Amino acid sequence: MPTPSNKYLRTAFIAGLFVILCIGGFTYKHISELSQTSKVVKDNYSLRNELELIISNLKDAEIGHRGFLLTHDSLFLNPYEESLQKVTSNLVKLDTLIVSNGEQVEKLKQLKGDINNRFKNFDKSFSLANDDSILTRDLLFLLHEGEIRMDRIRADITEMLALEQRLLTHNQEVNEKKIGLTPLFFYGLLIVTLIILLLAYVKMTTDLKALKESNVELEIFEKLTKQSEIVSNTSTWVWYIEDNEFEFSDNLYRLIGEEPQSFEPTLENFYNYVHEEDISNLGEQVNMMMREEELPFTSFRVVHRDGTIRHLKAYSKLMDDTEGDAKMLGVTIDATNEVENYRIIEQRNQELERTNKELSAFNYVASHDLQEPLRKIQTFMSRLESKEKDHISESGQVYIQRMKSASARMRMLIEDLLQYSRTNTSEKEYLKTNMNMLLEHAKTELIDSIEEKHAKIICDDLPTMEVISFQIQQLFINLISNSLKYSKDKVPPVIEITHQEVLSKDINEIKDSLYKYHHKITFKDNGIGFEQAYAEKIFLLFNRLHGKSEYSGTGIGLAICKKIVENHKGVIMAEGHPNGGASFTIYLPFLK
Amino acid sequence: MNSDYINIALADDDEDDRFFFTEAFDELKLKSKVLLFKDGIELMEYLNDSDNMLPSLLFLDLNMPKKSGLECLKDIKATKRLSDMVIAIYSTSASEEDIENTFVKGANVYIKKPNDFEKLKKVLSEVVTTNWQYHTSGLNKDNFLLRL
Amino acid sequence: MKLLLKFDFTKVCNAVLKQKLQAHQLKFRQTAFGEIELIDKASEEQLKVFYDDINSFGIEVIEDPKKIVIQKIKDVIVDMVFNERDIQVKTSVYLAEQLEENYNYLSNLFSEVTYTSIENFIILQKIEYTKILLTSEELSLTEIAFKLSYSSVAHLSKQFKNTTGITPSAFQRIIAKRKQIN
Repeated sequence: MPTPSNKYLRTAFIAGLFVILCIGGFTYKHISELSQTSKVVKDNYSLRNELELIISNLKDAEIGHRGFLLTHDSLFLNPYEESLQKVTSNLVKLDTLIVSNGEQVEKLKQLKGDINNRFKNFDKSFSLANDDSILTRDLLFLLHEGEIRMDRIRADITEMLALEQRLLTHNQEVNEKKIGLTPLFFYGLLIVTLIILLLAYVKMTTDLKALKESNVELEIFEKLTKQSEIVSNTSTWVWYIEDNEFEFSDNLYRLIGEEPQSFEPTLENFYNYVHEEDISNLGEQVNMMMREEELPFTSFRVVHRDGTIRHLKAYSKLMDDTEGDAKMLGVTIDATNEVENYRIIEQRNQELERTNKELSAFNYVASHDLQEPLRKIQTFMSRLESKEKDHISESGQVYIQRMKSASARMRMLIEDLLQYSRTNTSEKEYLKTNMNMLLEHAKTELIDSIEEKHAKIICDDLPTMEVISFQIQQLFINLISNSLKYSKDKVPPVIEITHQEVLSKDINEIKDSLYKYHHKITFKDNGIGFEQAYAEKIFLLFNRLHGKSEYSGTGIGLAICKKIVENHKGVIMAEGHPNGGASFTIYLPFLK
Repeated sequence: MNSDYINIALADDDEDDRFFFTEAFDELKLKSKVLLFKDGIELMEYLNDSDNMLPSLLFLDLNMPKKSGLECLKDIKATKRLSDMVIAIYSTSASEEDIENTFVKGANVYIKKPNDFEKLKKVLSEVVTTNWQYHTSGLNKDNFLLRL
Repeated sequence: MKLLLKFDFTKVCNAVLKQKLQAHQLKFRQTAFGEIELIDKASEEQLKVFYDDINSFGIEVIEDPKKIVIQKIKDVIVDMVFNERDIQVKTSVYLAEQLEENYNYLSNLFSEVTYTSIENFIILQKIEYTKILLTSEELSLTEIAFKLSYSSVAHLSKQFKNTTGITPSAFQRIIAKRKQIN
């Protein structure tokens, strides 16, 4: 995985390598140029040398020639011959030396011609000298000519030398220029190399430092992981897919009741600890994991060597973006407490359900089985009262009346109780309902007593809300009938129903609600009211503030109200003043 | 409609209730014939025999062994031959929802069994006369809903 | 496809009657609603066949003079309610006028034969009409109360509940749910 720091290093290395290669190349080029120059110089010198040798040899030849002319002694001919040969070999050498220089070649050709002419002159004079032992006019002329030719050769050589000198100087100049730049260039390159090296060093040290730091962090992290694994009863493992090798964290060993790394981390060894009932399922899951490279949450039990059974839960996922071998990272958790808690909750739920069932069974018993005999008693009593009236004494008729009122009360109690339990068990279907409509229905239900008491009901426009309509209608009926029942004698009841939307945080009773807004609906009457001290008590089941003979009632009506409001996640509160009326406030939550 | 007698049937498992029922009709002195059934099975056997004369008014107790009143109601409403009968549910008590539910399922009348004999008489006579009105005054039987 | 129908009962009845009379080749003259006079004398046998035929359409020939009067009273009331007759006088006066009889006599006769009072019968018809309006037309209870000349919605609501035992809205709900099921 190339990190940025690696990239820098690589660039620095490549740059350094490049620079060094450059240096090598340039050095090689310069050295080869230098050796080239010195060869040129050497060639130059040997050229000069050869040229001078030619002159000296020609002179030797002349001396020999002159000696022979004077003496006719063939002894002088030997040096002459020798010189001739030397000159020839000199010329051959010159040929090889100046082969690359066009101007010189031209000059050499001329020199060769001149030398050739000189030799021809020599040969002529020899042939003349052989005939006469004295100097003839012809011979003199030849000698003169020889002299002129010699001069011309000298001039040629001088020219060649001069040319060579020029070439040498020029060469030297060029070389000096080149060689003069070389140290500067080398120095510059060296500096650049040094800078690169320095940068690389700085980079490497900082990287090394960072590496060290992250190593420390890694070490801390590893230790923390180990600690947290112990504390939270979790463990980790890695599966290297290609090698099919596992690596278990220390705590995984502990989770199955063993010392860390006490056995080789293989699946087979691990399976030894798995509960025999779970082993096939876990095996299936693991096989699936090997195929699909993912292990969904899998629960299984392990049995420690001492017999302890623990519930474990494993989960694993393929590590993505891996450069090297593919591996799966897994977590195994001890979920025993979780499972245990869940089991307890389940058990409690079952208990609750059973209780609820019993309650609804009781509801049924109350509704049907209890009501039926009561109804029959009442009906038979009514038969007795009308059909057998003439056969019963007066006191007997009083008893019948008492029995009738007692059973009527029992009937009322049963019915109210039934209604109370129905607010628990009936279908809870929340529907958007116009509350005005529900209030109208409630009023229709109560129309007889409203008219009888000449009650006046003043009402705000109510909103549309999501409610169990049967229950809210019942709530309205109970609240209105409560106000009607506890009205002042000979004062027509006035019930004011008001509505407003409130912010939950503004109202003390609902400030902790999970809903931001509440509907506040208030039922206020001008009835007999009550002591504020009883404001909470009146909502309790069977709680009555008045004697049975004063006001009929079972003490269930307001308890039903409370239940209904609670079913709607709301709050109901009462406020009263003795003889100053009562008001009931309902807060029902809603979402905007 | 020409017959002078009104045929009435009651299916109720409770002996006392059947007793009150017949006694009430006796005292009402309506021109009526009352058929009694002890449970839903007995009732349906009678109704499904095409030789038998069908009652024009059937009182059904909801809570009966073997076959409940609601099951009978469902079967009756599903049988074309029986769909003309007026059905009165005659039961101890139920929630508002249950009552509405029986109406929705096709009952015409819901009677909560009264706890007073005189009331029972009054209720039964009201059912019979209202039923009679529906039969004689060309009223739409689909709209016949009565709760007492 | 469902169609909601509203009948003009008078027209329907008259049409059926006319068709049947013609089918049986009986010459007739209609003297009032629910009353015809046969121009030619028909044989007992012919009449019996005719009676049986129209009986299957729910038409009954009333021979009892009391029944004839009662039927007339009912006809007047049904016509009054269903055709929304605007009557300025009291119903009792109107009935007496229409039938040219003493109201007390009519009332007693009615109760004797039908086990119910004329007043009750009127209420029954009004509630019946309310039911039809509630289920077949998009009218609110307020509009219906106005249409049927009730002093207030509450009054109609109360009368509806007293007559049927259920509230108008419950009635509407039940009928709507029944329609959904069917």
